[in-house]
Amino acid sequence: MEYILIKTLEAMATFILAFLVGMTYGGVVRKITGRVHNRLGPPWYQNFIDAFKLFSKTRGIHHGAMHFLGAAFLMVTSVVSLMIIPVLAPGGHAWYNSWFTNMNFNGDLIFLLYIMTFGPLGMAMGAGQTGNPNSSIGVTRGLSQMVGFEIPWVMALVALMISYKTTSVIDFMNIQRETGTWLMFANPFAFIAAVLAMLGMFRYSPFDIVGAPTELASGPVSENGGKFLFTMMSSGSVFTFAKLVLYVDLFMGGANNLVMLVVKTFLLYMIPVLYGIVSPRYRTEQAVRWFWGWPTFIGLLAILYAVMF
Amino acid sequence: MDMITLILLLFLGGAIVTWLGGKLSPIVGDMLFLVTIIVPAGMFFTGVTVGEVTHLHALGLTLTWGLSPLSYLFSMIVVGLGILLAIYAVPFMKGKQKTGAFYFNFTLSVMAMLGILVSKDWVSFFIFWEIMTWSSYLMVILNGKDVQRVGIKYFIFSAIGAYAMLMAMVVMNSQLGSFLMADTFNNFQHLTVGNQILIPILLLTAFGVKSAMMPLHVWAPDAYSNAPMAYTGLFSGALSKMGIYGMVLVMVTMINQLPEGTLIRDIIAWMGGFTAAAATLWAITQDDGKKLLAWSSVGQMGYIIVGVAIGTPLAMLAALFLVVVHAMFKGSLFMVVGAIEKQTGTTDFREINGLIRKMPWTFISALISVIALAGIPPLAGFVSKWMLYEALIQNNNYILVILLFFASTAGFLYCYKFLHGYFLGQEEPEWAHVKEAPAAMVIPMLLLAIGTFVLGTFPQLLFKPIDSALQYVGYDATGGHLWGQSILFSEWGDIVTLQPILYVVLAVFVFFALFLWFKGTKGTRYVSTKDISTSGELPKEWENLTFKVNFMQPFERTIEPFLKRQIDKYYTAFGNGLEALFEFTRRIYTGNGQTYAIYAILFLALLLLFRVNLFG
Amino acid sequence: MYNDKNSKKIVETIQNWARSHSVWVLAYGTGCGAIEIAPTMTSRYDAERLGFRGAATPRQADVMLITGYLTVKTVKRVVRVYEQMQSPKYVVGFGSCTINGGMYYDSYNTINLLDKYLPVDVYINGCMPRPEAVIAGLAKLQQIIREGKANGAEKYLENLDWYKANQRKIAPKWIAKAPDYNW
Repeated sequence: MEYILIKTLEAMATFILAFLVGMTYGGVVRKITGRVHNRLGPPWYQNFIDAFKLFSKTRGIHHGAMHFLGAAFLMVTSVVSLMIIPVLAPGGHAWYNSWFTNMNFNGDLIFLLYIMTFGPLGMAMGAGQTGNPNSSIGVTRGLSQMVGFEIPWVMALVALMISYKTTSVIDFMNIQRETGTWLMFANPFAFIAAVLAMLGMFRYSPFDIVGAPTELASGPVSENGGKFLFTMMSSGSVFTFAKLVLYVDLFMGGANNLVMLVVKTFLLYMIPVLYGIVSPRYRTEQAVRWFWGWPTFIGLLAILYAVMF
Repeated sequence: MDMITLILLLFLGGAIVTWLGGKLSPIVGDMLFLVTIIVPAGMFFTGVTVGEVTHLHALGLTLTWGLSPLSYLFSMIVVGLGILLAIYAVPFMKGKQKTGAFYFNFTLSVMAMLGILVSKDWVSFFIFWEIMTWSSYLMVILNGKDVQRVGIKYFIFSAIGAYAMLMAMVVMNSQLGSFLMADTFNNFQHLTVGNQILIPILLLTAFGVKSAMMPLHVWAPDAYSNAPMAYTGLFSGALSKMGIYGMVLVMVTMINQLPEGTLIRDIIAWMGGFTAAAATLWAITQDDGKKLLAWSSVGQMGYIIVGVAIGTPLAMLAALFLVVVHAMFKGSLFMVVGAIEKQTGTTDFREINGLIRKMPWTFISALISVIALAGIPPLAGFVSKWMLYEALIQNNNYILVILLFFASTAGFLYCYKFLHGYFLGQEEPEWAHVKEAPAAMVIPMLLLAIGTFVLGTFPQLLFKPIDSALQYVGYDATGGHLWGQSILFSEWGDIVTLQPILYVVLAVFVFFALFLWFKGTKGTRYVSTKDISTSGELPKEWENLTFKVNFMQPFERTIEPFLKRQIDKYYTAFGNGLEALFEFTRRIYTGNGQTYAIYAILFLALLLLFRVNLFG
Repeated sequence: MYNDKNSKKIVETIQNWARSHSVWVLAYGTGCGAIEIAPTMTSRYDAERLGFRGAATPRQADVMLITGYLTVKTVKRVVRVYEQMQSPKYVVGFGSCTINGGMYYDSYNTINLLDKYLPVDVYINGCMPRPEAVIAGLAKLQQIIREGKANGAEKYLENLDWYKANQRKIAPKWIAKAPDYNW
């Protein structure tokens, strides 16, 4: 019983870390976007204020049970992926390292890939029940885009699996520690394919076709306000952090302490953000075909590279 | 009399009695039908033991029947699905035409499938195979729609399969002198090399037709959607699995003994992978729930074929697991469509909207089944897909893995389209009168949906029967720890460590759902789907805000180049070519005496001309 | 403890502070005023640094900006959008037209005083108000939110009959068909 209690507290700590870091990243991205636009931009903590304001809305509407469940589906996906992805590398010696050993140090990639699609699908159901046509259009766009970027992403992962005969995230981290080489250098093609897939995964321009504020009125979330939007916002932040940590674990050898973790994830996060700020938006079919073009080719190269070397 | 024979005879007799009883009064027919299915099924569960063999002497032949662990696994699907669908079928068929014919063919199909599974010689196998084909053919044309197009397509492909199987049987008998399956498998080495390749290919053609492998799948989408929905669950869930059953036998016993076996395995695996991907894309473009599920069935069979063709123990485990799970969730989904058809009278996504509040139980079973179909973790579909990917990676089939991943990701699109099409979206006043389906229809589909949940949490329940089935067909004994061969399960320690994670998933889910609910009840109210943010407009009653037509248009545009190529067109071109050929022959046989006289004279003249060459 | 008066007050203060620093604007671009929104939000004046941000739908928005004259036809939509927003919610009247009709004061189909139909929290005078004036108005809104005085939604609910009666005068058929505003 005590064990479970401690585990729960540690899981809470991980969740709070992810929430804080993810929200801060969101604010910093807004700040950076502002600076690129030659504005001052909001303060870095703006997202916290927004979240708190949404949380303290006094009135709200819902369109039925599935509308509630959609947000819950989204949250459960973020939390569970965060629990399964190793947050810190197993070799680290910081005093807080054991806090972030949740269920993770056995994490399996295929399991992770599928659990990560659970939320968007549940969210899609919630968006469907609102009956807003814009929501449904956004959902179909999002699912189409997912089919697009999943191909290079899976190819990169399969290339790694081929090279090291494992599907466990923790094994990849151990391999990187033992050999001293990050996998982004060991199989550069896999890293490039994964990063190109990442552009679609984080939905910044030119792949922000789901929300598309100008034509879809923010798409799937258009009927959500107050608590729903708060849940989605915080789960989105946690999910962003979880995905970034996964990338760091796979390609950059994980992080031994929190400072390194924040530095690495932030650097990685800047790729889609900076690419997005200066890009216009693709149409859906253009986006999907883009992913099936060069990224898939590089993914094939990655597999070839993994098979040959 | 022996138990197996008795059960089969009960089914046969019951089918006839039901038909006759149905003529007296519909209620008598319903009752008789339920008794006919449930009593022999119960006898099967209690009375039949694995391994018992019985001989039947008829027409100078010895028919050998018996239950092996492999066929036990499949017969569980047939009998279980048969009972649930029978309970479902009674309210489904109420007030419809041709109830008697439906009951008759349904019972006969169940009997034929059990017969196939207990057959230990090729003669009874073939007989039962034909009974199955015929009864399902009659089901396909039961509603009298599209008999020309759908029925004939199914019939022609079944005939091709049947002839291929017959030919293989004849060759085997002439070479080996036995119809017994065991004999043909054991003496396979004594055949000539040509026959060794010919026989498996012929058999695989027969089984490939039944399991709708591309390019032999053309009949399946139409036939599945044209049959009554109460039967389609059995059709897609159990009947097409007979092809897989045969394929497992052929793959393991014959192709394993061939030096060229790996090549054939690779070809079949690629055909399976292609089936999975292409059928998924076609499913996305469908606007009818029946058609969508039919294509999705074809796609899921693709996964199973890949697993069977790869043939490592893990791949076989994955394939057989998916066989059982697919029967469950697809059975449930076809029941859902049937319930919707019964309650609303149509199955077109573009017409039905927002049934979620009218048919909540149907929606719940559809939701669970769809999550299982998409292969998302807490449910059983995921376990089989997981093992399949692992098996493929271990077996160095990397590109095939990518293909299957693609198929499975694209599968989300039609999964969402299905749920959105029927249950979500705007609630139109047109469907305000719709009520939940009767309990006898809802309970079977809920049971199947819950079954996928149970198997997803406790997959080891199914691993043991599959393990003994695999040992029966000749895999190494694993002591019940088959899943230890997977990287991931050995990584997780044991399958049991997966369960805490699933419980955590559930706990977190419930926690947040409750959080939102409690947080939401105060100050939150329900608004109808007409009250949405539409730039301040008030939608009128007749204004349809639903987004249903061209639902997946962006994706369809993306895959447009692919969709232009249909195997159907090639078959049609082939058929047209044949027709031209027949047209040409008709010019020779004009039916005019004078023409025939000229032919005779020409023939004689030719003989005279070449007499030196011919007669020396 | 939660129901304690003092702790409630503290929570209220924090909430109001958050509300004032995170205002999501639904710019209902009616008249010519909409042209002033763009420079207010973009690089030159950058309202985002104060916590203002565009919202895509009424469900997500906190404040509705009514930028100019309102025809009878538009009032219906504005009322509808306002009712779809979720409390606490605010209305900012923008330009002279919302105050006294401005240059359309004698037009047969525009309303002269917005406050008769919706509870306006802040007016921004001018024809048109420049972005500086807009930002000053928004800052005023922030201030009254912080002080807890921006209670237009409650006012609307209390005096619903009066507001509905006024609305019914200009659009009788339409108001009859609209769903009840019961929260």
